[in-house]
Amino acid sequence: MNSKTDPAAEPMVARDATYHRAPDALRERLRAGLAREAGAADRSRPWGFLAMAASFAAVALVTWNLALLNGAPGADELMARDLVNAHVRSLMIEGHLNDVVSSDQHTVKPWFAGKLDFAPPVVDLANAGFALAGGRLDYVNARAVAVLTYRYRQHVVNVFIWPEAGEVEPRASSRQGFSVVQWTHGGMRYSAVSDAAAAQLFALAEALRAQGAG
Amino acid sequence: MTRLARFEKSVLPHLDAAYNLARWLTRNDHDAEDVVQEAYLRAFRFFDGMRAGDARPWLLAIVRNAGYSWLEKNRPAEVVALDDAGLIASDVETAGHAAPAESNPEVIMLQSANRKLVNQALEEIPVGYREVVVMRELEDLSYKEIAAIAGIPIGTVMSRLARGRELLRRVIEVRMRKAS
Repeated sequence: MNSKTDPAAEPMVARDATYHRAPDALRERLRAGLAREAGAADRSRPWGFLAMAASFAAVALVTWNLALLNGAPGADELMARDLVNAHVRSLMIEGHLNDVVSSDQHTVKPWFAGKLDFAPPVVDLANAGFALAGGRLDYVNARAVAVLTYRYRQHVVNVFIWPEAGEVEPRASSRQGFSVVQWTHGGMRYSAVSDAAAAQLFALAEALRAQGAG
Repeated sequence: MTRLARFEKSVLPHLDAAYNLARWLTRNDHDAEDVVQEAYLRAFRFFDGMRAGDARPWLLAIVRNAGYSWLEKNRPAEVVALDDAGLIASDVETAGHAAPAESNPEVIMLQSANRKLVNQALEEIPVGYREVVVMRELEDLSYKEIAAIAGIPIGTVMSRLARGRELLRRVIEVRMRKAS
């Protein structure tokens, strides 16, 4: 930096900048907060033994399927393939991505009215870095679904939405270099697909929930 | 092992990294603690989506997100869009004006001069450059990991890192000139 300075005395980030270590009090508070959070989640699932029974049943079913079908792909994997195909198709030709092009949720939401037998929640997430780009109809999982498109930096994110019961936390998979994050909440199944990192799609899931959707 | 026990085993050990990033994003102990608490609760909620072995970058992406949400809400002026193709001269000017220089020569002469100089300079540069410098230099993350955490291409990580270092050098030079 300064030719007259002894290089050893030159300021350097790696050596001179402070590495801020977490205070012990914070660690303790986090532990307590997480225990509360875990306790709340357990209490909201009094049917825990049923879930366990169901998971045994699921394991049995999967084993049986594997035995029968010799490694046929699971439902989630088939779904991810469907979703990635739709995502790729949407980007192949100019104009495939959106049927309605607008960053205004009040323009996109009414566009779906009368085209589907459900009303997808439409929110702009520009504050979280995901700018609403528009929407379209698509056909996956043997039904017509709503697709919201978002721009995240130079990435396009397709969010497929259709009605589905249950609550399933977001989970990630990847296919042909695309990330797929799927979750079920508030009566809707959401599947976000993009070439952006899965972590970004989790951020999108989180932002949707913060907006009262997703 | 319960979900909580698994979380404590794989994610809690990265608390220092989470705090360090939050602290450099917010530049304040108290706000960093708020961001880390929020991030950990989110991380716990989304824990089932984490791939094995990815805990640190995965957690840092959530911390970064929580940090930016916090900044946008509390100090929106600090979150500026970076012109990744533009020149950096204007950034240097902005950085130079962001905070009054600590120009007491005696302070600079202390043994901890470099430490103080670097810390102050790092706090002064725009957060978009600061975060990549912190992740690279203090957390030793790879370009690829930083790209995934910040959601930017690897090329942009490299150019922001180069510009961040350049900005730091200039801010430090200005401060040294003022001090002498």
